[in-house]
Amino acid sequence: MGLRAGLVRLAAGGEVPVFSVAGLGGRVVVEELGAVPGIEVVDHPRAAALLVVVGRVPPGLLGPVLAVHDQLPSPRASVWWPVGADGGVPGPALAAALPGLVVGRSGDVNGLRRLFADMLDGGHPTDPAALGDIDPAPWRGVGPYGHGGTGMTGGVPYGRPMAGRAPDRDRLELDQLPLRFGPLFPPFPPGLVLELLLQGDVVQQASVGDNRFRTEAGTPVSTTLDTDLFLGALDHPVLVSDLELARARHHLRWLARVLRLHGLSGRAWRTLALARCLTAADAAAVTALTRTVGRSRSMASALRGQGVLEDPGTVTGGPVARAGGEPADARSGDDSYRGLGFEPVTHPAGDAWDRLRQRLGEAAQAMALVERAGDRVRAPGPPVEGPRGLIAAGLRPPSSSLLELLPDLLAGQEWGDAVNIVASLDLDLEEAAQDGSPGLAGATTPGAGFAWRPGMSPDGGPQGSRPGVTRSPVAPTENEP
Amino acid sequence: MAPFGAALAVVLGAGMAILASRWVHRLDPGVLSAPERVPFQGGSAPEVHAWSRYHIRYYSMALLFLAFDMEMVFMYPWAVVFVEEGVVALVEMMMFILILVLGILYAWREGALEWA
Repeated sequence: MGLRAGLVRLAAGGEVPVFSVAGLGGRVVVEELGAVPGIEVVDHPRAAALLVVVGRVPPGLLGPVLAVHDQLPSPRASVWWPVGADGGVPGPALAAALPGLVVGRSGDVNGLRRLFADMLDGGHPTDPAALGDIDPAPWRGVGPYGHGGTGMTGGVPYGRPMAGRAPDRDRLELDQLPLRFGPLFPPFPPGLVLELLLQGDVVQQASVGDNRFRTEAGTPVSTTLDTDLFLGALDHPVLVSDLELARARHHLRWLARVLRLHGLSGRAWRTLALARCLTAADAAAVTALTRTVGRSRSMASALRGQGVLEDPGTVTGGPVARAGGEPADARSGDDSYRGLGFEPVTHPAGDAWDRLRQRLGEAAQAMALVERAGDRVRAPGPPVEGPRGLIAAGLRPPSSSLLELLPDLLAGQEWGDAVNIVASLDLDLEEAAQDGSPGLAGATTPGAGFAWRPGMSPDGGPQGSRPGVTRSPVAPTENEP
Repeated sequence: MAPFGAALAVVLGAGMAILASRWVHRLDPGVLSAPERVPFQGGSAPEVHAWSRYHIRYYSMALLFLAFDMEMVFMYPWAVVFVEEGVVALVEMMMFILILVLGILYAWREGALEWA
């Protein structure tokens, strides 16, 4: 048994593979978890030993969280971390579904390491499965070899409908695969559900699924947003330097996400560390960072010409509009910024590369403004230029108008470019969920404008594909001769 | 000695293979449950069958193959006479390869190297 104990100690001393889920207000904690040495945040639940859920899980995310939990290989454990003012207890639904859930302290990395060691040692029992072992589409083959029955095209082999057909690039009628990514897909912002029609790696059609940060009744779930300081500036006096520091921090966090997406994890963690304890004294570091990233040829070649925004005027302010040459910035007309030498940064092309350069430029500009503003106070009243766009009373949150750009920007793109374009918009689904306008109701309805085939569940959660959901068989007339 | 050594190697190899297969069998977690078998899409379940066809572009792949294949076909006789002919043969082969490379670049531009 000496060998076994030695191996367990060796394994427990290694990196802890963690799959992290950001609940309400948990995005920043989840992203900083990846920067901690000894913790490896993995992109796939099969590679993880611990599931870390940060913040309360809204009802729309519960099903996906449980589905992901069951995909962790045994032995597995799940941890819940509170965020801000959520009372230190997970929601009753999550606690009931995961009886082995360990409630920890936010950012308690040593607790994760101890739990991992305990679990390998056998001290902490492995989590039981949250969902039943029920095959959503049990095997229903017919014929002497049980090969599924009604043909290779358009049939329902093994109880699952096959992909439909549509012309591809060469105008051949080939399979068009409907796939739903999210809401816990690591390259996407937390909560984003994209319903894609793919042929090979080409996105033929994209639509945004329902926002999981809304309740079933469609009302937004109450939460603290990462842009709360800017929202508060609408009716409270705030130091201009505080606002600009928050803006630089926001853009740096976004940059860290994009760097990680490009496989530059080391630089991403350094950027995140800089963002976490950003002060007015870090202006030189921010300028140096933006200069280095802005010179990156590999990122330029990956992003140039991707996701060009045809009409930047449709977006109300923000870096996305300004990266398309639209000099709209609420700070231009703001009395509190008068005399600071503020001039909106713009870029001409409106593609993903210009959006990156735009945010780099705005982060450096914000640091310069921090220095110049001193202790100047911004008077409440006029609209605030948030890091994603214009914030004003009665105006839709910037993320929700940016979300509506996705279907047009993604159509016709290859998968890798599509992921880059999603990242370039700096979306936040929690912010988008705060939108009360009826205009978005159509965009958030599942499957709006999306050729979802018969037999597919309307909600996309794992419950939707249980037996009992009626599947209308596809007519066998589509069979190949 | 040699037959004995060979037999020993076979017996040892087979023995280790049998032991390894039995041991690996013990490590096997067994049959995966339905939620574990689902491919990861970020918490959403797949809705269509995994049997899906895409255009593998045999035609353009065949053209590319021919470009490389022809190159090799002519290179064998060329290599035989290369020493006799000297620089002339080298220049001729370079011209030939240049034409083939143009063909490959054309196929690349036409998207022959893309997936779908």
